[in-house]
Amino acid sequence: MRRLKHEFCFNLNPWTISAVLIGLILFLPMAEVLWHLTKPAENWEHLRDTVFGRYLKGSILLVVGTATLSILFGVSSAWLVACCEFPGRKIFEWALILPFAIPTYIAAYAYFDLIDRLTPLLIWVRVNINQEAMTLLNDTIVYPVTIIVLASVLYPYVYLVARTAFTRQSSQYIESARTLGHGPHSTFWRMALPLARPAIVGGVALVVMETLNDYGAVEHFNIPTFTTGIFRTWLAGGDLPGALRLAACLMTFILLLLVLEKWMRFGARFHKNSQSDRPFQRFPLGQAKAGVAIACCLLPLVIGFILPLSRLVYWAGLTVAKVLDMSFLKLTLNSIGISTAAGLTTVLLALFLAYTAKYFGSRTVRATNRLAILGYAVPGAVIAMGILLVAKQLNSATGWVFTGSLTMLVLAYIIRFLAVAWHPIDSGMEQNCEQLNNASRSLGASTAQSLIQINMPLLCNSLVAAGLFVFVDTMKELPLTLILRPFNFETLSTKTFDLAKQAQIPESSVSALCIIIVSLLPVVWLNRQIRTMEK
Amino acid sequence: MSLLSIQNISKQYTVTDPPALNGMSFDSERGKIVALIGVSGSGKTTLLRIIAGLETPDAGIVVLDDKTLNSSSVFVSPEQRSCGLVFQDYALFPNKTVYQNIVFGKGATDDSDRLKQLIEMAGIGGLRQRFPHEISGGQQQRVALVRALATRPKLLLLDEPLSHLDPDLKDSVRTELLNLFRETETTTLFVSHDIEDAMAIADRIVVMRDGKTEQVGQPSEIYKRPINSHVARLFGKTNFIPAGLIRGAHHVFEDEKGKGMIAPIRPHQWRIIEGATDDSNAFRGKVKSMINRGAHLEVALETEHLNLTLHLNAKTSIQVGSLLTVGCSLTE
Repeated sequence: MRRLKHEFCFNLNPWTISAVLIGLILFLPMAEVLWHLTKPAENWEHLRDTVFGRYLKGSILLVVGTATLSILFGVSSAWLVACCEFPGRKIFEWALILPFAIPTYIAAYAYFDLIDRLTPLLIWVRVNINQEAMTLLNDTIVYPVTIIVLASVLYPYVYLVARTAFTRQSSQYIESARTLGHGPHSTFWRMALPLARPAIVGGVALVVMETLNDYGAVEHFNIPTFTTGIFRTWLAGGDLPGALRLAACLMTFILLLLVLEKWMRFGARFHKNSQSDRPFQRFPLGQAKAGVAIACCLLPLVIGFILPLSRLVYWAGLTVAKVLDMSFLKLTLNSIGISTAAGLTTVLLALFLAYTAKYFGSRTVRATNRLAILGYAVPGAVIAMGILLVAKQLNSATGWVFTGSLTMLVLAYIIRFLAVAWHPIDSGMEQNCEQLNNASRSLGASTAQSLIQINMPLLCNSLVAAGLFVFVDTMKELPLTLILRPFNFETLSTKTFDLAKQAQIPESSVSALCIIIVSLLPVVWLNRQIRTMEK
Repeated sequence: MSLLSIQNISKQYTVTDPPALNGMSFDSERGKIVALIGVSGSGKTTLLRIIAGLETPDAGIVVLDDKTLNSSSVFVSPEQRSCGLVFQDYALFPNKTVYQNIVFGKGATDDSDRLKQLIEMAGIGGLRQRFPHEISGGQQQRVALVRALATRPKLLLLDEPLSHLDPDLKDSVRTELLNLFRETETTTLFVSHDIEDAMAIADRIVVMRDGKTEQVGQPSEIYKRPINSHVARLFGKTNFIPAGLIRGAHHVFEDEKGKGMIAPIRPHQWRIIEGATDDSNAFRGKVKSMINRGAHLEVALETEHLNLTLHLNAKTSIQVGSLLTVGCSLTE
């Protein structure tokens, strides 16, 4: 009670009030979508009876498959790289992160002809057996292919956290397991894996969120999911309430997932950074085993990076002369411009929100911050639906047209990627600035002075990293951009999508490559950061 | 006229933990140096942070120079309190030079002569352009102190000011601190768990225990007349002798376990009695163990009813197992 009173009597000032307002505004679109669960939608019953089941089945199959395969790829390669010694281990250590740079839809385009090659077979089945057999065969081919493509570029989420967890378990545990008579096998199953479980669950959760967020790949492989459902219901069917309903269902699905993740990680912060600095003796592998290890690491890397990249490079070589013109320059500038705007505003907002919560120790701001960063879990299509709703309300309230404006697009990016910027800034502040803020307060410095003179210079690295991450994520983003972009506004990602949709995949490779090259920047940075952290 | 008044301050962080502060009260006069001492967990640092405004109490009043800083209806934010706080780890801004650190505070450059004088007094004139990581721990501490004093705080708060320093550095820093406080006439409140520091620097000592004031007084007074065995023990090894066994004890208090009145006798108050004696305050017992402490010999003596700790002259030649008669001098 007393603390609540303190919060309301003495912690109310322009800083905290605006932080709370900003937090709520950023949460508003998501709240509006959720609110739509309670509203009647004309065609909902029709949707529910016809396609809803298919969307649900498609999404669940994809999520389960991609998560499982990502765990297989990610955990096995992480264990090998972290705890075994074999030729090429050092190269794999960083190379295995590279697929991060390839967005799911671009990976799908790189394998576009995989399923086309099977078309004759499918036709043969339809002619000689029947329609159902063909559908069945199509499903049994299309789902695994999509799952492999998605998992091969999403597994780094699992790989990264698992590698860090295994390395941090440090020599102590592994050496003690060995002195207790456990070989590499039983050490892995009985000690290392259970200890790393909470971290791995976190990584898998991100894989699942990315899978649900994907639009380009599932659209390309023609798999019915919630995201494709939202697009079809709204764009093809013109049924906004129905699309909103679907978005609300997807959002509920995500919230359940977040609860599940919390529950599975419950009470599980076991791995502690041990102080021992001794270099740790990896398990040496014999020739045959080393061969298997190399194959294990090579497989996801080839599928997720080397093959798609080399195909894109090849196509780009063929089409570059045709594609590179003034319009390409314009859409590159569009991409850079909008990503810069999103990066800068997101970092500034994240800095402001994190700082205000910390500086005033305000519980209210901390709570609204939590709501505001929820967007990282919510698929772009759902956020886009929420933004459309808000824009519509703003249109009628102010008389200006917000729908389809760049402002709304940037706002959507901020909501989607606020967490990306918020986490490094918040943890940087916690590590470096808490005591210094107290010191500067007791010296009588103003709130703004502490922020500008103490926090910003000290957080310089975190701020740059946060900005870079948001910049790259914005550049890669597809579903949200497709729904919210202003008329005739093309970016590298929408151009890639449009060309791919018109079956001009080789032509789309130039813009796809541009996105990949930019995306490699944070991957390199991330790798360096994690290496110093693991040391 | 008291400058700082702390009335009934309570603070509990979580429902399950015992309260960090539980109705703490004391006053401090202008220009005095007050030490807050107590074992770790007694709430010293929490109180310091509440006075600085970095923590809010659940209940209670803080008044500084007739201005209420904390009460049920008032909360003055830290930057408006005029309380300089020197942190245990100094909290110097790593991105600023020594001089930039010092002039960071509000109003630090208002009186440039005074600032110059402060820097001279602290002996950090040559370090102006260095960064905090380039100077030693003792120098960092002086910079933090000058930084806090430069804002002319009404009250200076120090959190364990000497805990980071080497033993041989401590003595000189102690003297420097004392001089600096006296010359700047700053009212100071400092937290310490080191009795030696408190005895050497403070005009008054506030002993805390379980979030409450246990005893307030001048250092020598508390040392000689602790109000209970906890305070006595805080100030060093003490023999607790039932008052009935000591005649003429100048200070006794009631035993906390209800075993009647007891008299605290410090180990150095004992002396050996050679030959027969009719001294009624004499105890005879067997030497159980001896530790050579350099300056003196610490002897554990087992008598019929008691186990005594004695500090005897290092030249005393006795053996473990030998019998010894000791008496205590009750003059202060």
